[in-house]
Amino acid sequence: MATSMAAALAASLPAPQAAPTPSAPIHDAIPASMSKLIDIEAEIPITSVQLDGLVVSKIIKHSSESHAPNVHGLLLGLDLDGTLEVSNSFPLPHNVGDEDDKSTKNAGRYQASMLRSLKEVRADDSVIGFYQSTTMGAFFSHTLVDTQAIHQDKLRHGGVVIVHDISQTTRGNASFRAFRLSKEFLDAYRKSSFNARSHRLTFASILEEVPLKIRTNALLSAFINTLTEPHISTIPEPHPSDAFSSALPPSYSTLDLGNAALTSNLEHVIESMDQYKTEEGNLAYHLRQIAREKARADSYLTKRKEENASRVAQGLAPLPEEDISRMFKIPAEPSRLESMLILGQVDAYAKTLEGTSGTSLVKMYAAKASSGI
Amino acid sequence: MPIGPPTSAVHLQPVPSSSAPAKYDRAPSSVTIHPVALFSILDHYLRRTDTQERVIGTLLGTRTEGDDVVDVRGAFAVLHSETSEQVAVDMEYHRAMYELNQRVSPKEVIVGWYSTGSNLNTYSALIQNFYSQETAPYPAIHIALNTGTAEGEQAGVKAYISSPVGVYPKAENAVFVPIPVDLRFNDAERSGLRLLSTPSHPATDLALLEATLQAVVDMLDRVLAYVQAVVAGTRPGDAAIGRYLMDAFGAGTEELEKGGFASSLQDTLMMSYLANLVRAQAEVSARLALVTAA
Repeated sequence: MATSMAAALAASLPAPQAAPTPSAPIHDAIPASMSKLIDIEAEIPITSVQLDGLVVSKIIKHSSESHAPNVHGLLLGLDLDGTLEVSNSFPLPHNVGDEDDKSTKNAGRYQASMLRSLKEVRADDSVIGFYQSTTMGAFFSHTLVDTQAIHQDKLRHGGVVIVHDISQTTRGNASFRAFRLSKEFLDAYRKSSFNARSHRLTFASILEEVPLKIRTNALLSAFINTLTEPHISTIPEPHPSDAFSSALPPSYSTLDLGNAALTSNLEHVIESMDQYKTEEGNLAYHLRQIAREKARADSYLTKRKEENASRVAQGLAPLPEEDISRMFKIPAEPSRLESMLILGQVDAYAKTLEGTSGTSLVKMYAAKASSGI
Repeated sequence: MPIGPPTSAVHLQPVPSSSAPAKYDRAPSSVTIHPVALFSILDHYLRRTDTQERVIGTLLGTRTEGDDVVDVRGAFAVLHSETSEQVAVDMEYHRAMYELNQRVSPKEVIVGWYSTGSNLNTYSALIQNFYSQETAPYPAIHIALNTGTAEGEQAGVKAYISSPVGVYPKAENAVFVPIPVDLRFNDAERSGLRLLSTPSHPATDLALLEATLQAVVDMLDRVLAYVQAVVAGTRPGDAAIGRYLMDAFGAGTEELEKGGFASSLQDTLMMSYLANLVRAQAEVSARLALVTAA
């Protein structure tokens, strides 16, 4: 059973890796050169993620065309010797508001038929994670945590989430990062215990980053190089700006002095601070509630004890000690997950703000030096 | 921005004759294509079977009303088989895939089809005929992407529209008229392309800025060397370049000098300080949340 599975795996490997075993028959054993690379039981841990050029452009297209702040899609590919190779992806339809049963069923049907269709044209069809777009670097959300927690239970190797920052990409630096939920967080999540005592987690330890590298296959990079190659104009004595033309001219958009993004970034920081404040208020209310109930229970207990002591002194039988947990409902300790996530958002927004203001300082001094003020 | 080898082709505009009623609007005069469509085609080409000479698929995109430019925004692969006797396209698959795509990006409609390689034959005309029915009342476009893998062929993209030819219109008779095709991308896609074309891409904004500034410094050095050579008389000066340089360097910095610089600098410094403060506070707050009363 195991060997036939491995052989099936070997046959379904993407073309470049399968080159040493061209169309191996199913019953063949794994060739020695491949045997170390194929792990049937997913024993080799994932140490890095490799993103194909096609996926890069697909994610950018999906996130820049959508009006929603966060878009999601599924990543398809294979793992090979500790590297998770993401070779394809497809976008998921944006759910309009209501998370009812019908829309989730529809989404499931959409995924299934998309995977089937991709398989027919020989594309990879095993889900290995999902991607999410974000703005200003803040990507902590319940959806992300919930989805990734499900994936880490169900998918081989647990899967990854790739976060794409669309605002940074628009500024000229395409940003892709791969993450997984950390083990400690996953344990706490499974037990759904996010009160102060049971875990030692901060927002920084929710996710662990997986190193990510971009790969372009030979054909793609050859094509891109052809595009970037400048063409010399055939018109005699052209205008200098027309003399060279290239389908992919170099861009200097990073040198833009304008910092319109800073304002909205600051607004985001303030907004998430407000959210945090509200959440803190909720927590404090819960804590007060708990403290009040506890005090009432305690006072009842001491009263009963005193009464019993006096009754014993008078020679009477003591009253039974009742179950106080039935009389007083002490509310459960509130979950800190929400406030932890919001704090993560605050930190991420502030980090982006720090980075943007840092680069714009450099740019301002550069401009100042050139103008000689 | 041409994305193919330079051609001397004159792009003809088919003028709708008065005798034929206006069956469709004006034929598209040019095509713009997004990188994601190109990359999908290349990926499909890589995943073809050994027996397949070329691969075909459907192009999705938008048409702008009025100015007849077709914007190709995506593509998906379609199964097809070609033998010496017949050609078959999996229409059912094509429909299903189109419906799936509609759910994510409802604005994108079928605008035509692509194939790899640059030979147009009878089958091309037949497939073109099929796609014309799909895109009716608009004419279908055809994008021929040459991957440049064959000996002696240059990689590039060509776009065509078809018009019927012959005394009696037949499906397999068509003239493919080339139309200009451009690569189109927005800022985000541009930086994505840059990420793909430079192998060692700087990870942080600051590193990227440094690389860009270095490139500017290099360019300035090159210009300076040229200007010095002209001044010294070792190289003949070009008036056009001179005027162009004057335009480029004459750009005013009055905005900066009007005192806006200092206040803007202060604002930015303030932002930087604030951001640091917020981060420190967030960290402290996260730690404090872990402290228990006990």
